[in-house]
Amino acid sequence: MAADGLHENETLASLKSEAESLKGKLEEERAKLHDVEFAQLCPTLCDRLDCSLPGAFVHGILQRRILEWVAVSSSRGSSRPRDGTSISRVSCSAVHQVAERVEALGQFVMKTRRTLKGHGNKVLCMDWCKDKRRLVSSSQDGKVIVWDSFTTNKEHAVTMPCTWVMACAYAPSGCAIACGGLDNKCSVYPLTFDKNENMAAKKKSVAMHTNYLSACSFTNSDMQILTASGDGTCALWDVESGQLLQSFHGHGADVLCLDLAPSETGNTFVSGGCDKKAMVWDMRSGQCVQAFETHESDINSVRYYPSGDAFASGSDDATCRLYDLRADREVAIYSKESIIFGASSVDFSLSGRLLFAGYNDYTINVWDVLKGSRVSILFGHENRVSTLRVSPDGTAFCSGSWDHTLRVWA
Amino acid sequence: MSSKVTIGSDIGQARRAVEQLRMEAGIDRMKVSKAAADLLQFCTEQAKSDPFLVGIPAAINPFKEKKPCAIL
Repeated sequence: MAADGLHENETLASLKSEAESLKGKLEEERAKLHDVEFAQLCPTLCDRLDCSLPGAFVHGILQRRILEWVAVSSSRGSSRPRDGTSISRVSCSAVHQVAERVEALGQFVMKTRRTLKGHGNKVLCMDWCKDKRRLVSSSQDGKVIVWDSFTTNKEHAVTMPCTWVMACAYAPSGCAIACGGLDNKCSVYPLTFDKNENMAAKKKSVAMHTNYLSACSFTNSDMQILTASGDGTCALWDVESGQLLQSFHGHGADVLCLDLAPSETGNTFVSGGCDKKAMVWDMRSGQCVQAFETHESDINSVRYYPSGDAFASGSDDATCRLYDLRADREVAIYSKESIIFGASSVDFSLSGRLLFAGYNDYTINVWDVLKGSRVSILFGHENRVSTLRVSPDGTAFCSGSWDHTLRVWA
Repeated sequence: MSSKVTIGSDIGQARRAVEQLRMEAGIDRMKVSKAAADLLQFCTEQAKSDPFLVGIPAAINPFKEKKPCAIL
């Protein structure tokens, strides 16, 4: 075999067909470990489905009926879709099956306990401080505000030179915030309580992308920041020097969200993008270690399960999904026929039993992660919910919306 | 000449994609039932300390209204 440049029998076509066959092999490998009985590949919910099925809106029951139907038809021969149309996985919901014997959750009473008013335009992003009390939020009009959620007072405010500040993050020490958006940069502002000091004066530009900044997060310390951008890459930066430490290439379109693995030894993070893929990266090598492509539209939000072994994603396809990292596949899907608007942001409660998801239809749905059922639906916002985070001690969660307000729910 | 360069970079891209897929196909995987059972176990263990599941008395929860007290 020729060693340099192009191998003789290696053409673009042969590489592409090898890629396709590897993709098929990947699916097979994942399917092999799917030892929960149900059929693995099912036609979409829209295909030849008997709409007179009772309980059509109860997710668990509908799933079982469909899968019974498919098991019968696929026993007649081919396990591949007959007409070759693209299939979407009706999730086999392995988690729901395993969790059948778990007690159902009781009724939840969650109300808006605080409303934070002050932004002049759509709230795009928010983050809690580790002190469980303060939070930072950013909006379309360029304002970034630090609030005390107990008293609803504004503690700091800075106006960015750009509009659409799509990302903001609180430093672990609580002494700085990072934000960015259409300026293609991520800037860090130290928080000072000196009334005479102008916050904007101490601004430090850390990250530079070639397109908008969609998400940012400090790593375990104030010293490094991870960013995601519309230019399709993620990057790790040193805050002090502004130096690029590692870049992550692989997404085929804008990266919209990222989340760092919870454990100290983790060193991985997950990102989601407009290419419908969720990718897990090794922070040290810059390599993508796992990729998941089961969503049918842009992934707006990704969040690790508290144990670090799984992550959830929220997408414009109106579903939230749970992916297990060790099984290397999607293990649950949270959707209802009545939910047709995209999920913009997701977060878990402290134990991982509840998944809070904010949607573009102005509501927040609370899902039972194990059972797959919706536990509660929260109304209150008057425009789409754009961001949602659970507080560090799990006592409350905060949602930000295009209605210019943030709400703290408990 | 230039067409060769573009084809070269396409090949490079395709090669990288194949390598990435090979690597992804080769990782160790766990059975779904075991993985799901682990998630379940974590959940039940942590449930006692989850304020949304267990509920924190209004007096301690900083967000909930405290019961009014009357001064006698």
